[in-house]
Amino acid sequence: MRGFDFVAPTTISATLKAAKGRNTKFIAGGTNFLPDLRHQHDGPAKLVIDLMRVSALQGISSSKGQIKMGALATMTDFLTNKIILKEAPILAAMSEKFAGPIIRNRATVAGNIIDGGPAADAVPPLLALKAKVRLASEKGRRTVDLDKFLTGYRQTAIRSDELITAVTFPSPGRNHKWGYYKLARRNAMAITVVGVAVVLKVRRKKVEEAGISLGSVTAAPIRCYEAEKILEGNVVNLELAQKAAEACAAVAAPIDDIRASAEYRKLMCEVLPRRLICQALDISQDND
Amino acid sequence: MKMATASKSKRTGKSSAPAYVPPKKLPISFTVNGQEVSAEAPAHTTLLYLLRDLGFTEVKNGCEAGDCGACTILLDGLAMNACCALGVQAEGREITTVKGIGTVDNLHPIQQKFIEHGAIQCGFCTPGMIVAAKELLDLTPNPSRHEIKAGIAGNLCRCTGYVKIIDAIEAAAEELSSKKGKRK
Ligand SMILES: Cc1cc2nc3c(=O)[nH]c(=O)nc-3n(C[C@H](O)[C@H](O)[C@H](O)COP(=O)(O)OP(=O)(O)OC[C@H]3O[C@@H](n4cnc5c(N)ncnc54)[C@H](O)[C@@H]3O)c2cc1C
Ligand code: FES
Ligand code: FES
Repeated sequence: MRGFDFVAPTTISATLKAAKGRNTKFIAGGTNFLPDLRHQHDGPAKLVIDLMRVSALQGISSSKGQIKMGALATMTDFLTNKIILKEAPILAAMSEKFAGPIIRNRATVAGNIIDGGPAADAVPPLLALKAKVRLASEKGRRTVDLDKFLTGYRQTAIRSDELITAVTFPSPGRNHKWGYYKLARRNAMAITVVGVAVVLKVRRKKVEEAGISLGSVTAAPIRCYEAEKILEGNVVNLELAQKAAEACAAVAAPIDDIRASAEYRKLMCEVLPRRLICQALDISQDND
Repeated sequence: MKMATASKSKRTGKSSAPAYVPPKKLPISFTVNGQEVSAEAPAHTTLLYLLRDLGFTEVKNGCEAGDCGACTILLDGLAMNACCALGVQAEGREITTVKGIGTVDNLHPIQQKFIEHGAIQCGFCTPGMIVAAKELLDLTPNPSRHEIKAGIAGNLCRCTGYVKIIDAIEAAAEELSSKKGKRK
């Protein structure tokens, strides 16, 4: 992809206008864009639209129990933003394991969602938080559940003239319980072997609502509806946690690759959710 | 005027490439270590190439894919990989390279400690490592060894085995915080 033109608008409307043309491509932090540019010799873009100067795409806010993250919110923001640290610490825990500090300074939440790969690390926690993606184009605006937005391996429901403006999720509440684990071959700069995110709303010891998701074991990160249902409405004990964990493993369809075997990944899709559910709910586990 | 006809190569079966049209150049200006610079470059030029072509060869090219940290610079004070941005994205921004952190005659304590601790062997990772260490110590003035390791997680060193780099950053942190203490 060479010889493209470049614009850096400062407003959403100017961005959408530019995106109407044929063969346009956005760039945000560039941490996927530039390695892609280097590796694919011939891409389609005629015009690259820089999003980094659109101030309306920045910032994280909270209102009426809804958390809104601008498309340009970075992984570093997840580690430092007070709203995230208070309302959704799972995103900070995820970010701590994401690449290294320098990449985190630039890697945006929208860029990670558009990555759409199985190992996009921000996605499992956002699925567990039941996040929605806000989209805009000159034709109008729409909001799509993140779950539905991811349509397959590196595929999303975005149209070529559409921009992600924000990602939102309902606050899981002060007293929610959560767990996150990134299983990888190194502590940093590693591609996830299995990622697990668990968010549980608990009231009078009962799990009122559950969000459980897996990364790196299906074409795109996936929500484990069955496992969520097993926990919801119940005072969870080890036996139920185990049942939910088995339901997680049941939806996992991992592959063998250089990082781990499918067999190992499948096993971890049971071990890790059980461990995270038990740790979150203070259930003692005999076997690990 | 007669147009060149695309001929098919027997070997590859692909048509020969169309005539070369040099990519359009865009004007770019920004500051590097306080100095204003202007350039013209095609939009696909990475910030890394742009800086190196302008003579800022202290910004190293290790991988061009965000993996090694050799190209680490500060953009408006925030550490980033110069290989992961387009040069045109730097328009109007302030860039700091290792030379903006301290100079040969006036070394920053981080640079001084790298020398004292033998944290430099071939030196290829050093410019990026020092910029990453600068951001780390700005944000976390008294880091634990674990925090130092996490702070330079995006910077590869193929020579030192990291121990001396971590020692150097630890020593620099001590010196910087004792200096601050004295000033107060
Ligand atoms: C060394 C290295 C380590 C990495 N480690 C990890 C890791 O541990 N975990 C992980 O998940 N990822 C990792 N990544 C991948 C990458 O950093 C992330 O996916 C990042 O979040 C991408 O965001 P960005 O802003 O840099 O996207 P860009 O590269 O700017 O853009 C990527 C794509 O998203 C599109 N896009 C961006 N913003 C929008 C928007 N608002 N609306 C519509 N389209 C948009 C762009 O058009 C482009 O196609 C790593 C990358 C590198 C180079
Ligand atoms: S050259 Fe930029 S990270 Fe390696
Ligand atoms: S000193 Fe040679 S790579 Fe670090």
